[in-house]
Amino acid sequence: MYSSVVGHGTLSLNAELGPKIGHNGTVTSTSITPVANTPVVNRPNPVAVGTIVWLGSEVMFFAGLFAIYFTLRAMSPELWSFETSKLDVTYATINTLILVSSSFTCQFGVFAAERLQSRSTGWRPSQWGMVEWFFLTYALGAIFVSGQVLEYATLVTEGIAFDTNAYTSAFYFTTGFHAIHVTGGLFAFLLVIGRAFAVRRFTHKEATTAIVVSYYWHFVDVVWIALFLVIYVLK
Amino acid sequence: MRTSTNVFWILAAFYAFSTVLYAVWSLSDPFHHTIEWAGTIALGLLAVMFVFIAFYLKLVHRGQGAELPEDISTANIDDGDPELGHFSPWSWWPIALAAAVALLFLGIAVGFWIAYIGVTLIAITIVGWVYEYYRGYFAR
Repeated sequence: MYSSVVGHGTLSLNAELGPKIGHNGTVTSTSITPVANTPVVNRPNPVAVGTIVWLGSEVMFFAGLFAIYFTLRAMSPELWSFETSKLDVTYATINTLILVSSSFTCQFGVFAAERLQSRSTGWRPSQWGMVEWFFLTYALGAIFVSGQVLEYATLVTEGIAFDTNAYTSAFYFTTGFHAIHVTGGLFAFLLVIGRAFAVRRFTHKEATTAIVVSYYWHFVDVVWIALFLVIYVLK
Repeated sequence: MRTSTNVFWILAAFYAFSTVLYAVWSLSDPFHHTIEWAGTIALGLLAVMFVFIAFYLKLVHRGQGAELPEDISTANIDDGDPELGHFSPWSWWPIALAAAVALLFLGIAVGFWIAYIGVTLIAITIVGWVYEYYRGYFAR
């Protein structure tokens, strides 16, 4: 590697000392063309790094919500044993599976974006582009949020509202903030799909947007798995 | 990069040694005769974290496919000026979005009709921001 770099250096020197690059006689612009001296180094994408840092702060936000939940649970265990029996675990499990599957469809969309393919070349899923996969992901995420709204409505008719007691407050706070995050992710998917439609040629810039939105989506998915395990399984 | 990695390996080894020394010292000390856990764990974690960084740097070094310009004695200054991607030099959209979000929260706090205006402005400003370099002069 080292010797090849030196080789490049001498090459660029020769280019400057060697025969002058001819212009058409009237142009006076510089004839020095920049020569890459060093091999291209694969650096981490700054947008991806920034997104990960932001997701780090999001982890801390949800850690605070978990802390609220666990503190209240430690203070009043009898409230927990009474209220958690009203949760529909089967319903929540199906909803969880829908959200987890949306993470997989999202990742297939990222694979398509990484090969810079925005649209499908055929009906088979292996030929789908990023847009098709992200529309499917959007649909699955929308089903999840709608399912959650339905669950809230059912709970409220059963007398479990936001301000009923400490448990219901913690329940709606944690799952509600998560649902808001999923909704935000849905809008992000629409904006990414819009960018794919806005350009004539899908480039690395659009792929970067798709990849960082997928980071966010996977994060939201993992947070839900933790919430599901704590609220519905562990109780 | 290799030098940096080695420095972190040396520090990891040093703190691993310090952990053992600290534990044995507090065991053999006539006033203690027990392992002092707070310091032992802190020193042990230092060793673990230096291993983390050394391992991470090794992976980065392997993944970047070449030596950094700062590790090459014949490199030029502008070789260390990589392509960073596209970043907007300036934009009015973020502050407009911030004002729209402020309107939304103001609406939730004092009178809900303001929130409708806020949501509308959020939709406009967020689309404006995301597509700022996809319209007009920048359309491609």
